[in-house]
Amino acid sequence: MIERVHQLGRWGCRSLESLGDAGIFLVQSMFGIPSLEGVRLWLHQVHFVGVLSLAIVLVSGLFIGMVLALQGYTILVDFGAEDALGQMVALSLLRELAPVVAALLFAGRAGSALTAEIGLMKATEQLTSMEMIGVDPLRRVVAPRLWAGFVALPLLTIGFGVVGIWGGQLVGVQWLGVFEGSYWGNMQASVDFIGDVGNGLVKSLVFALVVTWIAVYQGYALVPTSEGISRATTRTVVYASLAVLGLDFLLTAVMFGGLS
Amino acid sequence: MTDTPFVEVEGLHYARGDTSIFRGIDMAILPNKMTAIMGPSGTGKTTLLKLIGGQLSPDAGRVLIDGEDVHRLSRKALFSLRRRMGMLFQSGALFSDLDVYENVAFPLRVHTDLPESMIRDLVLLKLQAVGLRGARELTPAELSGGMARRVALARALALDPELILYDEPFVGQDPISMGVLVQLIRRLNDALGLTAIVVSHDIKETLSIADHVYVIADGQVMAHGTPDSLDVEQDARVRQFVHGEPDGPVPFHYPGPAFHADLMGSGGVR
Repeated sequence: MIERVHQLGRWGCRSLESLGDAGIFLVQSMFGIPSLEGVRLWLHQVHFVGVLSLAIVLVSGLFIGMVLALQGYTILVDFGAEDALGQMVALSLLRELAPVVAALLFAGRAGSALTAEIGLMKATEQLTSMEMIGVDPLRRVVAPRLWAGFVALPLLTIGFGVVGIWGGQLVGVQWLGVFEGSYWGNMQASVDFIGDVGNGLVKSLVFALVVTWIAVYQGYALVPTSEGISRATTRTVVYASLAVLGLDFLLTAVMFGGLS
Repeated sequence: MTDTPFVEVEGLHYARGDTSIFRGIDMAILPNKMTAIMGPSGTGKTTLLKLIGGQLSPDAGRVLIDGEDVHRLSRKALFSLRRRMGMLFQSGALFSDLDVYENVAFPLRVHTDLPESMIRDLVLLKLQAVGLRGARELTPAELSGGMARRVALARALALDPELILYDEPFVGQDPISMGVLVQLIRRLNDALGLTAIVVSHDIKETLSIADHVYVIADGQVMAHGTPDSLDVEQDARVRQFVHGEPDGPVPFHYPGPAFHADLMGSGGVR
Protein backbone atom coordinates (compact mmCIF):
# COMPACT_ATOMS: atom_id res chain seq x y z
CA MET A 1 0.00 0.00 0.00
CA ILE A 2 2.75 2.41 1.06
CA GLU A 3 4.62 1.39 -2.09
CA ARG A 4 1.59 2.44 -4.18
CA VAL A 5 1.54 5.84 -2.48
CA HIS A 6 5.27 6.15 -3.16
CA GLN A 7 4.74 5.32 -6.81
CA LEU A 8 1.91 7.81 -7.11
CA GLY A 9 4.06 10.47 -5.47
CA ARG A 10 7.01 9.74 -7.76
CA TRP A 11 4.75 9.84 -10.80
CA GLY A 12 3.29 13.14 -9.61
CA CYS A 13 6.72 14.67 -9.06
CA ARG A 14 7.96 13.47 -12.45
CA SER A 15 4.89 14.82 -14.23
CA LEU A 16 5.22 18.20 -12.53
CA GLU A 17 8.92 18.29 -13.33
CA SER A 18 8.40 17.58 -17.03
CA LEU A 19 5.56 20.13 -17.14
CA GLY A 20 7.96 22.67 -15.65
CA ASP A 21 10.64 21.71 -18.18
CA ALA A 22 8.13 22.11 -21.00
CA GLY A 23 7.14 25.52 -19.64
CA ILE A 24 10.72 26.77 -19.48
CA PHE A 25 11.25 25.33 -22.95
CA LEU A 26 8.24 27.28 -24.25
CA VAL A 27 9.35 30.58 -22.75
CA GLN A 28 12.95 30.18 -23.91
CA SER A 29 11.97 29.41 -27.47
CA MET A 30 9.03 31.79 -27.94
CA PHE A 31 10.49 35.08 -26.84
CA GLY A 32 13.35 36.95 -28.42
CA ILE A 33 13.87 39.44 -31.18
CA PRO A 34 13.46 37.73 -34.56
CA SER A 35 16.17 38.37 -37.13
CA LEU A 36 15.69 38.63 -40.87
CA GLU A 37 16.94 35.06 -41.10
CA GLY A 38 14.39 34.10 -38.44
CA VAL A 39 11.56 35.51 -40.57
CA ARG A 40 12.77 33.51 -43.56
CA LEU A 41 12.89 30.30 -41.50
CA TRP A 42 9.43 31.09 -40.11
CA LEU A 43 7.97 31.56 -43.61
CA HIS A 44 9.48 28.25 -44.66
CA GLN A 45 7.79 26.54 -41.71
CA VAL A 46 4.45 28.29 -42.35
CA HIS A 47 4.61 26.72 -45.79
CA PHE A 48 5.47 23.33 -44.31
CA VAL A 49 2.88 23.16 -41.52
CA GLY A 50 0.25 25.50 -43.00
CA VAL A 51 0.14 25.42 -46.77
CA LEU A 52 0.84 21.70 -46.97
CA SER A 53 -2.00 21.01 -44.49
CA LEU A 54 -4.43 23.08 -46.53
CA ALA A 55 -5.76 20.24 -48.69
CA ILE A 56 -6.66 17.86 -45.86
CA VAL A 57 -8.23 20.65 -43.78
CA LEU A 58 -10.31 22.13 -46.60
CA VAL A 59 -11.58 18.76 -47.88
CA SER A 60 -12.54 17.75 -44.33
CA GLY A 61 -14.27 21.11 -43.85
CA LEU A 62 -16.30 20.60 -47.01
CA PHE A 63 -17.52 17.16 -45.98
CA ILE A 64 -18.29 18.18 -42.42
CA GLY A 65 -20.35 21.14 -43.66
CA MET A 66 -22.23 18.87 -46.07
CA VAL A 67 -22.95 16.26 -43.38
CA LEU A 68 -24.10 18.97 -40.95
CA ALA A 69 -26.56 20.33 -43.50
CA LEU A 70 -27.87 16.87 -44.33
CA GLN A 71 -28.36 15.84 -40.69
CA GLY A 72 -29.68 19.24 -39.70
CA TYR A 73 -32.19 19.34 -42.51
CA THR A 74 -33.70 15.93 -41.67
CA ILE A 75 -34.25 17.05 -38.07
CA LEU A 76 -35.34 20.64 -38.73
CA VAL A 77 -37.77 19.75 -41.50
CA ASP A 78 -39.92 17.80 -39.00
CA PHE A 79 -40.57 21.06 -37.20
CA GLY A 80 -40.91 23.06 -40.38
CA ALA A 81 -37.81 24.93 -39.29
CA GLU A 82 -35.54 24.18 -42.24
CA ASP A 83 -35.12 27.92 -42.76
CA ALA A 84 -32.87 27.91 -39.68
CA LEU A 85 -30.43 25.53 -41.42
CA GLY A 86 -27.91 28.25 -42.22
CA GLN A 87 -27.88 29.40 -38.64
CA MET A 88 -27.35 25.88 -37.34
CA VAL A 89 -24.55 25.04 -39.78
CA ALA A 90 -22.73 28.32 -39.17
CA LEU A 91 -22.98 28.28 -35.38
CA SER A 92 -21.86 24.66 -34.99
CA LEU A 93 -18.97 25.20 -37.37
CA LEU A 94 -17.74 28.53 -36.03
CA ARG A 95 -18.13 27.77 -32.35
CA GLU A 96 -17.02 24.13 -32.22
CA LEU A 97 -16.28 22.06 -35.25
CA ALA A 98 -13.91 24.30 -37.15
CA PRO A 99 -11.50 24.98 -34.25
CA VAL A 100 -11.64 21.44 -32.86
CA VAL A 101 -11.54 19.35 -36.03
CA ALA A 102 -8.94 21.57 -37.67
CA ALA A 103 -6.75 21.26 -34.54
CA LEU A 104 -7.12 17.47 -34.51
CA LEU A 105 -6.23 17.24 -38.19
CA PHE A 106 -3.33 19.62 -37.63
CA ALA A 107 -2.00 17.47 -34.79
CA GLY A 108 -2.07 14.40 -37.02
CA ARG A 109 -0.72 16.02 -40.17
CA ALA A 110 1.73 18.68 -38.97
CA GLY A 111 2.30 17.89 -35.28
CA SER A 112 3.59 14.36 -35.84
CA ALA A 113 5.82 15.60 -38.68
CA LEU A 114 7.31 18.31 -36.44
CA THR A 115 8.06 15.79 -33.69
CA ALA A 116 9.68 13.34 -36.08
CA GLU A 117 11.74 16.03 -37.80
CA ILE A 118 13.11 17.57 -34.62
CA GLY A 119 13.61 14.10 -33.12
CA LEU A 120 15.65 12.95 -36.09
CA MET A 121 17.76 16.10 -35.90
CA LYS A 122 18.41 15.26 -32.28
CA ALA A 123 19.21 11.60 -33.00
CA THR A 124 21.77 12.56 -35.66
CA GLU A 125 23.41 15.08 -33.28
CA GLN A 126 22.43 18.00 -35.52
CA LEU A 127 20.97 19.89 -32.55
CA THR A 128 24.10 19.31 -30.47
CA SER A 129 26.38 20.38 -33.29
CA MET A 130 24.28 23.52 -33.72
CA GLU A 131 24.76 24.25 -30.01
CA MET A 132 28.50 23.75 -30.36
CA ILE A 133 28.60 26.16 -33.29
CA GLY A 134 27.13 28.67 -30.88
CA VAL A 135 23.62 28.73 -32.32
CA ASP A 136 20.76 28.09 -29.94
CA PRO A 137 18.57 25.36 -31.46
CA LEU A 138 15.63 26.68 -29.45
CA ARG A 139 15.84 29.92 -31.41
CA ARG A 140 16.90 28.47 -34.74
CA VAL A 141 14.92 25.22 -34.96
CA VAL A 142 12.12 25.35 -32.39
CA ALA A 143 11.00 28.99 -32.41
CA PRO A 144 10.18 29.23 -36.15
CA ARG A 145 8.15 26.01 -35.95
CA LEU A 146 6.30 27.13 -32.83
CA TRP A 147 5.36 30.50 -34.30
CA ALA A 148 4.48 28.93 -37.65
CA GLY A 149 2.01 26.57 -35.98
CA PHE A 150 0.60 29.40 -33.88
CA VAL A 151 -0.16 31.44 -37.00
CA ALA A 152 -1.05 28.65 -39.41
CA LEU A 153 -3.72 26.81 -37.42
CA PRO A 154 -6.06 29.80 -36.90
CA LEU A 155 -5.81 30.54 -40.63
CA LEU A 156 -6.57 26.90 -41.45
CA THR A 157 -9.52 27.09 -39.05
CA ILE A 158 -10.93 30.10 -40.92
CA GLY A 159 -10.58 28.16 -44.17
CA PHE A 160 -12.27 25.14 -42.60
CA GLY A 161 -15.23 27.27 -41.45
CA VAL A 162 -15.68 29.04 -44.76
CA VAL A 163 -15.56 25.86 -46.83
CA GLY A 164 -17.84 24.11 -44.33
CA ILE A 165 -20.52 26.81 -44.60
CA TRP A 166 -20.26 26.65 -48.36
CA GLY A 167 -20.59 22.83 -48.23
CA GLY A 168 -23.70 23.24 -46.08
CA GLN A 169 -25.14 25.60 -48.67
CA LEU A 170 -24.39 23.13 -51.46
CA VAL A 171 -26.37 20.38 -49.75
CA GLY A 172 -29.04 22.49 -48.04
CA VAL A 173 -29.83 24.98 -50.78
CA GLN A 174 -28.73 23.38 -54.03
CA TRP A 175 -29.74 19.84 -53.27
CA LEU A 176 -32.45 19.81 -50.59
CA GLY A 177 -34.08 23.05 -51.72
CA VAL A 178 -33.91 25.29 -48.63
CA PHE A 179 -34.66 28.88 -49.70
CA GLU A 180 -31.30 30.58 -50.32
CA GLY A 181 -32.38 33.90 -48.84
CA SER A 182 -33.30 32.32 -45.51
CA TYR A 183 -30.10 30.20 -45.42
CA TRP A 184 -27.89 33.30 -45.62
CA GLY A 185 -30.33 35.73 -43.98
CA ASN A 186 -30.85 33.68 -40.80
CA MET A 187 -27.13 33.09 -40.60
CA GLN A 188 -26.36 36.80 -40.80
CA ALA A 189 -29.02 37.65 -38.25
CA SER A 190 -27.90 35.13 -35.64
CA VAL A 191 -24.11 34.89 -35.91
CA ASP A 192 -22.41 37.43 -33.70
CA PHE A 193 -18.98 38.47 -34.92
CA ILE A 194 -17.33 38.81 -31.52
CA GLY A 195 -19.33 36.18 -29.66
CA ASP A 196 -19.17 33.42 -32.26
CA VAL A 197 -16.46 34.11 -34.84
CA GLY A 198 -14.19 35.79 -32.27
CA ASN A 199 -14.56 33.10 -29.62
CA GLY A 200 -13.98 30.40 -32.23
CA LEU A 201 -10.76 32.12 -33.22
CA VAL A 202 -9.65 32.46 -29.60
CA LYS A 203 -10.20 28.71 -29.21
CA SER A 204 -8.19 28.11 -32.31
CA LEU A 205 -5.30 30.25 -31.06
CA VAL A 206 -5.23 28.30 -27.79
CA PHE A 207 -5.29 24.96 -29.65
CA ALA A 208 -2.57 26.15 -32.02
CA LEU A 209 -0.27 27.00 -29.15
CA VAL A 210 -0.94 23.78 -27.26
CA VAL A 211 -0.68 21.42 -30.25
CA THR A 212 2.52 22.97 -31.61
CA TRP A 213 4.03 23.21 -28.15
CA ILE A 214 3.38 19.52 -27.49
CA ALA A 215 4.76 18.58 -30.92
CA VAL A 216 8.03 20.49 -30.71
CA TYR A 217 8.62 19.63 -27.05
CA GLN A 218 8.08 15.92 -27.67
CA GLY A 219 10.57 16.11 -30.53
CA TYR A 220 13.13 18.07 -28.53
CA ALA A 221 12.91 15.95 -25.38
CA LEU A 222 12.66 12.48 -26.89
CA VAL A 223 15.08 9.60 -26.37
CA PRO A 224 17.20 9.71 -29.55
CA THR A 225 16.63 6.16 -30.82
CA SER A 226 14.28 4.84 -33.51
CA GLU A 227 11.95 3.52 -30.81
CA GLY A 228 12.09 6.86 -29.01
CA ILE A 229 11.07 8.72 -32.16
CA SER A 230 8.13 6.43 -32.85
CA ARG A 231 6.93 6.72 -29.25
CA ALA A 232 7.26 10.49 -29.28
CA THR A 233 5.27 10.91 -32.51
CA THR A 234 2.51 8.73 -31.08
CA ARG A 235 2.56 10.74 -27.85
CA THR A 236 2.29 13.98 -29.80
CA VAL A 237 -0.91 12.90 -31.53
CA VAL A 238 -2.44 11.37 -28.38
CA TYR A 239 -1.58 14.20 -25.98
CA ALA A 240 -2.44 16.91 -28.48
CA SER A 241 -5.83 15.36 -29.30
CA LEU A 242 -6.73 14.90 -25.64
CA ALA A 243 -5.55 18.41 -24.79
CA VAL A 244 -7.63 19.90 -27.61
CA LEU A 245 -10.80 18.07 -26.57
CA GLY A 246 -10.31 18.78 -22.86
CA LEU A 247 -9.52 22.44 -23.39
CA ASP A 248 -12.46 22.74 -25.76
CA PHE A 249 -14.81 21.75 -22.96
CA LEU A 250 -13.22 24.26 -20.59
CA LEU A 251 -13.25 27.08 -23.13
CA THR A 252 -16.84 26.33 -24.14
CA ALA A 253 -17.88 26.39 -20.50
CA VAL A 254 -16.27 29.79 -20.05
CA MET A 255 -17.35 31.31 -23.37
CA PHE A 256 -20.84 29.94 -23.90
CA GLY A 257 -21.78 28.20 -20.64
CA GLY A 258 -22.51 31.36 -18.68
CA LEU A 259 -19.44 30.89 -16.44
CA SER A 260 -17.91 34.21 -17.40
CA MET B 1 53.64 30.56 -26.03
CA THR B 2 52.71 30.25 -22.35
CA ASP B 3 52.38 27.27 -20.10
CA THR B 4 49.09 28.44 -18.62
CA PRO B 5 46.59 25.73 -19.49
CA PHE B 6 43.90 26.77 -21.97
CA VAL B 7 41.44 24.23 -20.58
CA GLU B 8 41.49 23.12 -16.95
CA VAL B 9 39.40 20.30 -15.55
CA GLU B 10 39.34 20.24 -11.76
CA GLY B 11 37.94 17.48 -9.55
CA LEU B 12 35.23 16.57 -12.02
CA HIS B 13 32.51 14.22 -10.76
CA TYR B 14 29.67 13.08 -12.94
CA ALA B 15 27.06 10.35 -12.57
CA ARG B 16 24.35 9.23 -14.94
CA GLY B 17 21.49 7.97 -12.82
CA ASP B 18 23.09 5.63 -10.28
CA THR B 19 26.13 4.91 -12.44
CA SER B 20 29.13 6.99 -11.54
CA ILE B 21 31.06 7.94 -14.70
CA PHE B 22 33.77 10.24 -13.35
CA ARG B 23 35.17 10.27 -9.84
CA GLY B 24 37.50 13.22 -9.65
CA ILE B 25 39.16 13.95 -12.97
CA ASP B 26 41.89 16.58 -13.19
CA MET B 27 43.39 17.70 -16.47
CA ALA B 28 45.38 20.62 -17.79
CA ILE B 29 45.23 21.10 -21.54
CA LEU B 30 48.04 23.28 -22.80
CA PRO B 31 47.50 25.86 -25.54
CA ASN B 32 48.62 25.13 -29.11
CA LYS B 33 49.09 21.46 -28.28
CA MET B 34 47.18 18.39 -29.29
CA THR B 35 46.01 16.51 -26.23
CA ALA B 36 44.55 13.04 -26.58
CA ILE B 37 42.09 11.54 -24.13
CA MET B 38 42.13 7.77 -24.46
CA GLY B 39 40.50 4.89 -22.72
CA PRO B 40 38.44 1.78 -23.34
CA SER B 41 34.93 2.09 -24.81
CA GLY B 42 32.31 3.05 -22.28
CA THR B 43 34.62 4.99 -19.97
CA GLY B 44 32.82 8.22 -20.80
CA LYS B 45 35.28 9.92 -23.14
CA THR B 46 32.51 11.49 -25.20
CA THR B 47 30.74 12.47 -21.97
CA LEU B 48 33.92 14.27 -20.92
CA LEU B 49 33.91 16.25 -24.18
CA LYS B 50 30.27 17.16 -23.58
CA LEU B 51 31.16 18.35 -20.09
CA ILE B 52 33.99 20.46 -21.51
CA GLY B 53 31.68 21.87 -24.19
CA GLY B 54 29.07 22.74 -21.56
CA GLN B 55 26.35 20.44 -22.92
CA LEU B 56 26.30 18.52 -19.65
CA SER B 57 26.79 19.83 -16.12
CA PRO B 58 29.04 18.04 -13.64
CA ASP B 59 27.86 16.98 -10.18
CA ALA B 60 31.00 18.46 -8.66
CA GLY B 61 34.18 20.09 -9.87
CA ARG B 62 34.58 22.60 -12.65
CA VAL B 63 35.85 23.15 -16.16
CA LEU B 64 37.70 26.35 -17.00
CA ILE B 65 38.22 27.42 -20.59
CA ASP B 66 40.57 30.37 -20.91
CA GLY B 67 39.81 31.18 -17.26
CA GLU B 68 36.01 31.07 -17.61
CA ASP B 69 34.00 28.51 -15.65
CA VAL B 70 31.92 26.88 -18.40
CA HIS B 71 29.10 25.75 -16.13
CA ARG B 72 28.63 29.09 -14.40
CA LEU B 73 28.15 31.08 -17.58
CA SER B 74 24.73 32.31 -18.64
CA ARG B 75 23.22 30.64 -21.69
CA LYS B 76 24.18 33.65 -23.78
CA ALA B 77 27.78 33.80 -22.52
CA LEU B 78 28.13 30.06 -23.06
CA PHE B 79 27.04 30.40 -26.68
CA SER B 80 29.50 33.21 -27.26
CA LEU B 81 32.28 31.09 -25.69
CA ARG B 82 31.34 28.28 -28.05
CA ARG B 83 32.03 30.52 -31.03
CA ARG B 84 35.67 30.16 -30.06
CA MET B 85 35.41 26.37 -30.10
CA GLY B 86 34.92 23.88 -32.88
CA MET B 87 33.75 20.33 -32.44
CA LEU B 88 33.99 17.39 -34.79
CA PHE B 89 31.30 14.84 -34.04
CA GLN B 90 31.64 11.11 -34.44
CA SER B 91 28.85 11.03 -37.01
CA GLY B 92 29.82 14.33 -38.60
CA ALA B 93 26.40 15.71 -37.61
CA LEU B 94 26.04 17.69 -40.83
CA PHE B 95 22.74 19.52 -41.29
CA SER B 96 20.80 17.21 -43.57
CA ASP B 97 18.71 19.98 -45.14
CA LEU B 98 21.78 21.92 -46.36
CA ASP B 99 24.35 20.94 -48.99
CA VAL B 100 28.09 20.73 -48.31
CA TYR B 101 28.71 24.37 -49.23
CA GLU B 102 25.90 25.67 -47.01
CA ASN B 103 26.97 23.44 -44.13
CA VAL B 104 30.43 25.02 -44.12
CA ALA B 105 28.96 28.48 -44.67
CA PHE B 106 26.49 28.06 -41.78
CA PRO B 107 28.73 29.28 -38.90
CA LEU B 108 29.92 32.21 -41.05
CA ARG B 109 26.39 33.24 -41.93
CA VAL B 110 25.10 33.15 -38.36
CA HIS B 111 28.09 34.75 -36.65
CA THR B 112 29.46 37.26 -39.15
CA ASP B 113 28.16 39.98 -41.46
CA LEU B 114 30.62 39.16 -44.21
CA PRO B 115 29.56 39.85 -47.79
CA GLU B 116 28.54 36.84 -49.86
CA SER B 117 31.70 36.94 -52.00
CA MET B 118 33.92 36.69 -48.92
CA ILE B 119 31.85 33.87 -47.45
CA ARG B 120 32.31 32.06 -50.76
CA ASP B 121 36.08 32.52 -50.65
CA LEU B 122 36.30 31.33 -47.04
CA VAL B 123 34.09 28.28 -47.69
CA LEU B 124 36.16 27.32 -50.73
CA LEU B 125 39.38 27.76 -48.73
CA LYS B 126 38.14 25.47 -45.96
CA LEU B 127 36.85 22.91 -48.44
CA GLN B 128 40.14 23.05 -50.33
CA ALA B 129 41.97 22.35 -47.06
CA VAL B 130 40.01 19.12 -46.57
CA GLY B 131 40.19 18.26 -50.28
CA LEU B 132 36.46 18.49 -50.98
CA ARG B 133 36.13 21.72 -52.93
CA GLY B 134 34.70 19.71 -55.83
CA ALA B 135 32.01 18.17 -53.62
CA ARG B 136 30.37 21.43 -52.60
CA GLU B 137 27.09 20.71 -54.44
CA LEU B 138 26.54 17.32 -52.78
CA THR B 139 24.07 16.77 -49.94
CA PRO B 140 25.19 15.01 -46.73
CA ALA B 141 23.28 11.88 -47.80
CA GLU B 142 25.53 11.57 -50.88
CA LEU B 143 28.79 11.61 -48.90
CA SER B 144 30.73 8.62 -47.60
CA GLY B 145 31.49 8.48 -43.87
CA GLY B 146 35.02 9.75 -44.31
CA MET B 147 33.93 12.59 -46.58
CA ALA B 148 31.19 13.61 -44.15
CA ARG B 149 33.78 13.81 -41.39
CA ARG B 150 36.04 15.96 -43.54
CA VAL B 151 33.18 18.33 -44.37
CA ALA B 152 32.38 18.48 -40.66
CA LEU B 153 36.02 19.31 -40.02
CA ALA B 154 35.84 22.14 -42.55
CA ARG B 155 32.70 23.40 -40.81
CA ALA B 156 34.30 23.16 -37.37
CA LEU B 157 37.21 25.26 -38.67
CA ALA B 158 35.05 27.80 -40.49
CA LEU B 159 35.23 30.42 -37.74
CA ASP B 160 38.94 29.78 -37.02
CA PRO B 161 38.36 28.52 -33.47
CA GLU B 162 41.01 28.59 -30.76
CA LEU B 163 39.96 25.23 -29.34
CA ILE B 164 38.84 22.22 -31.30
CA LEU B 165 37.33 19.04 -29.89
CA TYR B 166 37.52 15.82 -31.90
CA ASP B 167 35.12 13.08 -30.87
CA GLU B 168 36.44 9.72 -32.09
CA PRO B 169 37.64 11.07 -35.44
CA PHE B 170 39.04 7.75 -36.67
CA VAL B 171 36.22 5.37 -35.79
CA GLY B 172 34.91 3.22 -38.64
CA GLN B 173 37.20 4.57 -41.37
CA ASP B 174 38.88 2.54 -44.09
CA PRO B 175 42.71 2.71 -44.07
CA ILE B 176 42.83 5.40 -46.76
CA SER B 177 40.34 7.79 -45.14
CA MET B 178 41.96 7.06 -41.80
CA GLY B 179 45.37 8.07 -43.17
CA VAL B 180 43.86 11.17 -44.76
CA LEU B 181 42.17 12.21 -41.52
CA VAL B 182 45.21 11.59 -39.33
CA GLN B 183 47.42 13.64 -41.60
CA LEU B 184 44.78 16.34 -42.05
CA ILE B 185 44.16 16.81 -38.35
CA ARG B 186 47.86 17.06 -37.52
CA ARG B 187 48.64 19.36 -40.45
CA LEU B 188 45.75 21.70 -39.80
CA ASN B 189 46.61 21.85 -36.15
CA ASP B 190 50.22 22.80 -36.85
CA ALA B 191 49.25 25.32 -39.51
CA LEU B 192 46.57 27.03 -37.43
CA GLY B 193 48.18 26.72 -34.00
CA LEU B 194 45.02 25.29 -32.45
CA THR B 195 44.52 23.86 -29.01
CA ALA B 196 43.04 20.45 -29.71
CA ILE B 197 41.49 17.69 -27.66
CA VAL B 198 41.17 14.32 -29.39
CA VAL B 199 39.02 11.65 -27.82
CA SER B 200 39.84 8.27 -29.26
CA HIS B 201 40.65 4.65 -28.65
CA ASP B 202 42.62 4.16 -31.85
CA ILE B 203 45.97 3.88 -30.11
CA LYS B 204 48.41 3.86 -33.01
CA GLU B 205 46.86 6.77 -34.91
CA THR B 206 46.27 8.89 -31.85
CA LEU B 207 49.70 8.38 -30.33
CA SER B 208 51.25 9.29 -33.69
CA ILE B 209 49.73 12.78 -33.68
CA ALA B 210 49.25 13.72 -30.01
CA ASP B 211 51.62 15.89 -27.98
CA HIS B 212 50.21 14.80 -24.65
CA VAL B 213 48.01 11.87 -23.68
CA TYR B 214 45.59 11.21 -20.83
CA VAL B 215 44.40 7.65 -20.26
CA ILE B 216 41.14 7.42 -18.35
CA ALA B 217 39.46 4.31 -16.96
CA ASP B 218 37.15 3.61 -14.04
CA GLY B 219 36.23 7.28 -13.82
CA GLN B 220 39.76 8.43 -13.11
CA VAL B 221 42.90 9.50 -14.89
CA MET B 222 45.09 6.38 -14.96
CA ALA B 223 48.14 7.96 -16.51
CA HIS B 224 49.23 10.96 -18.50
CA GLY B 225 52.32 12.10 -20.28
CA THR B 226 53.90 12.18 -23.72
CA PRO B 227 53.14 9.28 -26.10
CA ASP B 228 56.66 7.89 -25.52
CA SER B 229 56.33 7.89 -21.74
CA LEU B 230 53.09 5.86 -22.00
CA ASP B 231 54.87 3.10 -23.87
CA VAL B 232 56.98 2.35 -20.85
CA GLU B 233 54.20 2.91 -18.30
CA GLN B 234 54.14 0.20 -15.63
CA ASP B 235 50.48 0.36 -14.50
CA ALA B 236 48.86 -2.91 -15.61
CA ARG B 237 45.62 -1.28 -16.79
CA VAL B 238 47.48 1.28 -18.89
CA ARG B 239 49.73 -1.43 -20.33
CA GLN B 240 46.73 -3.57 -21.26
CA PHE B 241 45.10 -0.67 -23.06
CA VAL B 242 48.17 0.72 -24.81
CA HIS B 243 49.27 -2.70 -26.01
CA GLY B 244 45.77 -3.92 -26.81
CA GLU B 245 45.83 -7.11 -24.73
CA PRO B 246 42.44 -8.87 -24.78
CA ASP B 247 42.41 -9.91 -21.12
CA GLY B 248 43.92 -8.33 -18.05
CA PRO B 249 42.70 -5.98 -15.35
CA VAL B 250 39.88 -5.03 -17.73
CA PRO B 251 38.25 -8.47 -18.08
CA PHE B 252 37.04 -9.93 -21.36
CA HIS B 253 33.82 -11.11 -19.69
CA TYR B 254 31.06 -8.81 -18.57
CA PRO B 255 30.40 -9.54 -14.87
CA GLY B 256 27.92 -12.38 -14.36
CA PRO B 257 27.36 -15.56 -12.37
CA ALA B 258 29.80 -18.43 -12.81
CA PHE B 259 29.51 -20.03 -16.26
CA HIS B 260 29.02 -23.57 -14.97
CA ALA B 261 26.29 -22.56 -12.53
CA ASP B 262 24.60 -20.53 -15.26
CA LEU B 263 24.46 -23.54 -17.62
CA MET B 264 23.27 -26.01 -15.00
CA GLY B 265 20.74 -23.85 -13.18
CA SER B 266 17.89 -21.61 -14.35
CA GLY B 267 15.43 -24.33 -15.61
CA GLY B 268 14.39 -22.64 -18.82
CA VAL B 269 14.46 -19.10 -17.48
CA ARG B 270 16.58 -16.59 -19.37
